[in-house]
Amino acid sequence: MITGRFVSAVLFSILVPLLAVALGGAGDVGTQYLITLILIWSLFAIGFDLVFGVAGILSFGHAAFFGCGAYCYAILTLDYGMSGLPALALAVMLGSLLATLFGAIALRVNGVFVALTTLALAQLIHHLIEVKLKNITGGTDGLAGVPRPDLWGINFYDDWNYLVLVAGLFLLASLANAVIRHSPFGEVLRAVRQSETRAQQLGYDIRLYKVAAFGISGAYAGLAGGLLGALMMFVGPDMTRWTTSGDVLIMTVLGGRGTFAGPVLGVVLFETLKESASALSNHWYGVLGITFVLVTLFMPGGVASLGAAIFRRFWNKAEKMR
Amino acid sequence: MIGTILIGLSVAMLLFLLAAGLTLIFGMLGVINFAHGALYMLGAFVAFEVYNQTQSFCAALLLAPILIAFLGAVIEFFLLRPLYDRDHVEQLLMTFGLILILEEAVRLIWGLGYRDLPLPQGFDGSIPVMGSDVAVYRIFLLATGVAVGAGLFWLIERTRLGMVLRAAMSHPAMVRALGIRVDRVRTVVFALGAALAALAGAVAAPVLPVQVGMGFTIIVDCFVVVILGGLGNIRGAIAAAIFLGLLQAFGQHFFPAWIEVVTYTTLILVLLIRPQGLFSLSAGRKA
Repeated sequence: MITGRFVSAVLFSILVPLLAVALGGAGDVGTQYLITLILIWSLFAIGFDLVFGVAGILSFGHAAFFGCGAYCYAILTLDYGMSGLPALALAVMLGSLLATLFGAIALRVNGVFVALTTLALAQLIHHLIEVKLKNITGGTDGLAGVPRPDLWGINFYDDWNYLVLVAGLFLLASLANAVIRHSPFGEVLRAVRQSETRAQQLGYDIRLYKVAAFGISGAYAGLAGGLLGALMMFVGPDMTRWTTSGDVLIMTVLGGRGTFAGPVLGVVLFETLKESASALSNHWYGVLGITFVLVTLFMPGGVASLGAAIFRRFWNKAEKMR
Repeated sequence: MIGTILIGLSVAMLLFLLAAGLTLIFGMLGVINFAHGALYMLGAFVAFEVYNQTQSFCAALLLAPILIAFLGAVIEFFLLRPLYDRDHVEQLLMTFGLILILEEAVRLIWGLGYRDLPLPQGFDGSIPVMGSDVAVYRIFLLATGVAVGAGLFWLIERTRLGMVLRAAMSHPAMVRALGIRVDRVRTVVFALGAALAALAGAVAAPVLPVQVGMGFTIIVDCFVVVILGGLGNIRGAIAAAIFLGLLQAFGQHFFPAWIEVVTYTTLILVLLIRPQGLFSLSAGRKA
């Protein structure tokens, strides 16, 4: 169904990559790198929010999908000489597959225990990658020299070109996200968040829907992981660490969970805060923690809700003036 | 053999101290305390600091839980209380945010390196037990665990506070109607859980390196214990802690490279076969 919300989601999906490309074109290499980083983490966050914000399931396992996507891309391109885009496609598939598996296992328990189970599963993956598969993954050293994709003879080692590629992928992924959220499937997920019992009584197989949400979410995580590996030209076990799941959670909560723009806003906020605060002090995670606690207490809707409230106030004023 | 069992049981004791607090807090507040590991770590650092200042292990063992209990009460009162009416996930978010703050606070005060607490005098030797040498401190750990466990059971099953606590876990509205301040019971329970975590940190400090990462390493194991043991079930937590402790001790002996894999695989299998936990008799409690 075409609604106002859907239209604004589509507009947002088009405007963000355009703005990113425009800002990147005007800025230097450092700015281009930062913007690409923000776009990649935004891909991760919008996927995460499909599970967390839309379906209301807290996962602490997303680092596994993200990291496995990164390692998949790195290993396929480095060891098997595969070219960038097919490797990225396989990274997406691996992320999705792993997430489906996580969902199938973790969704056997309820509520907050899903968070614990996904965390334990992600720790298992982290351990496998860091210790058990050392021969393939490089252990704690990670894998250096991960190539950027090669396509149509364009040099993607140029940060500007790579930014445009990532922005293009963001456009597609964000449009897909808009469609998914406003499809009947997305509506059912929303219904599950509001009341599982009610959704179940309406005849929906809620477990199937939730596992499917995990699968889609994992695809986004895998894509983001692969792209980040190519951006940094490095993948390491930190990408599968629980703190990565924590970071994407913080971004989503700061920005506003369950909203279309929220996760992206959160990433922008997180990364710019990190850039400015880590220059000032080494304790930026503490500052972040305090911000996070305050937002949880006083602004559960995140920055997006603040924006929406201001917009509504001005809108109402404009209405009255008329 | 007996040495391995004793090591396993002393690991189980640490896990039990933490899991008991987690389970109590969950049962009473409905909150999964992600920051439990951070409180444990903080307990170890406070114990280290107290020992450094006073050179007395007893003082460290006593002061760390008291100080952290106070901190726990403050956390519950100011940060968790406003969230009870909201979704359970919100409380998890809050305790997750607390991890960031507590870890950064520790880095700020004690720096990045790890600290060592010497074994207290009289506990640094080892004695023969049924043919194998066992460190005295291991036995002390074990005795502490048994004593605290027994004390906890006495508190919950035999005292008036315990009675109120059990009642408030299942029927908070009814207990409130009887004129008992359930809010205060919640604060007390969170403080008690925090104290248990700090005690675990303090007794672990002489045998484990005291460092920022120590909280997270053990908390994942504790979550495994809580899930295996059945949710909000202290008896289950004891059984699961002993199970996991022995598994890890024997694993250290026979398959040291595979302990983590075996631990997590056990968890996955249990969730697939008995999602309500191995040791719970009734159907799983819904969160």
